[in-house]
Amino acid sequence: MSEPLNPDQPPTRARPSGAGSGELEASRRTIEPIPPGAVPVMEADHISKGFGATTALVDVSLKAYSGRILALLGDNGAGKSTLIKILSGVFPPDGGTLRFNGQDVVLRNPAEARERGIATVFQDLAVCELLSVTRNIVLGREPQKGFGPFKFLDLKKADAMARSALHQLGVRWERGLDEKGINISGGERQSLAIARAMFFGSSLLILDEPTSALAVRQAGKVLDHILTARDQGQAVILITHNFRHALSVADDITVLAQGRVAGHFRRDETDLDALTDLVARVG
Amino acid sequence: MTNEPASGVARTVPSRRIVYGEALRRFMLRPESTAIAAVLILFVVFTILSPALFPTKLTYISIMAIASELGILSIGVTLLMIGGHFDLSVGAVLGLTSYVCVVLMRDFGLSPVIAAPVAVAVGALLGGLNGYVVVRFRIHSFVVTLGTMLIWRGVLIALTGGFPMTVDIPVVFKNVMSGPLIFGFRMSMVWFFAITLLATILLTRSRLGNWIQARGQNENAARNLGVPVDRVTIILFVLTSALAAVAGIIQVARFSSVDALRGEGMELQAVAVTVIGGTLLSGGYGSVVGTMLGAITFGMIQVGLVLAGAPGHFFRTLTGVIVVGAVILNTDVARRMARSKPLGGFKRSSAAADAAIQAGAAAEKGEAG
Repeated sequence: MSEPLNPDQPPTRARPSGAGSGELEASRRTIEPIPPGAVPVMEADHISKGFGATTALVDVSLKAYSGRILALLGDNGAGKSTLIKILSGVFPPDGGTLRFNGQDVVLRNPAEARERGIATVFQDLAVCELLSVTRNIVLGREPQKGFGPFKFLDLKKADAMARSALHQLGVRWERGLDEKGINISGGERQSLAIARAMFFGSSLLILDEPTSALAVRQAGKVLDHILTARDQGQAVILITHNFRHALSVADDITVLAQGRVAGHFRRDETDLDALTDLVARVG
Repeated sequence: MTNEPASGVARTVPSRRIVYGEALRRFMLRPESTAIAAVLILFVVFTILSPALFPTKLTYISIMAIASELGILSIGVTLLMIGGHFDLSVGAVLGLTSYVCVVLMRDFGLSPVIAAPVAVAVGALLGGLNGYVVVRFRIHSFVVTLGTMLIWRGVLIALTGGFPMTVDIPVVFKNVMSGPLIFGFRMSMVWFFAITLLATILLTRSRLGNWIQARGQNENAARNLGVPVDRVTIILFVLTSALAAVAGIIQVARFSSVDALRGEGMELQAVAVTVIGGTLLSGGYGSVVGTMLGAITFGMIQVGLVLAGAPGHFFRTLTGVIVVGAVILNTDVARRMARSKPLGGFKRSSAAADAAIQAGAAAEKGEAG
């Protein structure tokens, strides 16, 4: 991460095939087509949702595959957040089906989604500000020791879990694990949340605007960690309105506009101009 | 506390002055520092005001009797406040559960060994009701418990007819709850210290404690990570009211009676004690040990003013001054200290510093909004 950064250009992982020199460096030049017969980790099939008189989503379909990043692009009000709330079990769709690993599922609540391995990282909900890094990472799944009613936090084990979670995602954590959430930068919070989700066995990562409100350098680090997650076999749905970020890491791009799918592309089939045009036209 | 500077020493050994300075700076950042300062200052002031009467064992015993009862009640309120809630009904719950305890012994002839646990169970039930309403209807706990405070107080006045009720309590039970110890202190002090210790372990060394802090800091993040925040809320209310009942039983053992106004005003005293103890009003951070010291502060004011011959109403005024002073120290001064640089070669990270910064940020947000 020491190379100079172009403000508009997120840094990319050093990959043999990805060492191109385009205007916008992409994580990998050629994108393999989805192998025939591959089962998407998550498939939304003709989903629709309305709130009273307003229609939020109409006939939206998408597929997220293991080891691929699907970027969900769209302006404010395009229906992105409604869609991720459906995918993470916050509320059910009015019509259409969700399929998880090829099977129809009904997600009754966020806990059920989480148990199936669907981890949603919300932009501003990543950390508790006065808990340590360790306590934040193990929150909700704290290791305990003792027996019967006399159970205590196993703080040593918790530290080990936190360390290996961060290590797994390649997050370099140079400060202590007792650092409080308030001293963790926005980018580090996102990375920490991704590390936490993967460590506890997610197979689908839904990331809600992970790079908005971040400085360029931090955004680059977060994108880097998203690529690592993908390489370790996570299916990633990346919600963003930053076209450049989407184009630099995504394998597939779905554009939402006014609650409908306005277009679906493989990353190498489109470019910044085409996407900008599309959104300007339909949004 | 004592070995903290030593562990933070960097490669070069700082001078003794810097070590002491940094130790002082860190002490000031602890949530308990205000309460310790209050205890020390009040001790000196009251000793000067009544040198013959104040620094005596009898005085300490009276202070601890008051502090123990209020402190046990306040520990529940502290945990609840760290979890991000308020409970204004604890005073009324204390009164009503005391009534239950007295009636079971007097009118039903039950042994206190049965009556006391039943009273605690009734307290837990009343707390559970508070928690259920807060969770089910998503109403702010301040409003819910304001309502239940009025309801339970009304019920208690109706049941007692406004008259005090006395009861004969077996000496053994009296002694176990509030009797004199070998050194003359009351048993209630032992319960107080034991509950302080247990609550501290719960808060800092248990999963539930982690969840309580997370609930108070970022409810949505906690929920999103699978923390059963609603269950945590209900447990906290149950615990708070059960501890109110314990305090009530100790008072019943001490006075052998209950009256319609038992516990009235203690809900606000508990908030004052908690705040003096360094717990953030906004939740998420606090100290049970601080609350213990806050309760002792309270006891000192109450006893010290009587000994100094001050008029009765002075008590409220002085308490008010100390509460406001404590809040200023705990937020404003601590925030400035937290932003100040650690003295040469020490590490920055400190829970109290972070809390002070966050409290300041919350206050600024409040002013802006």
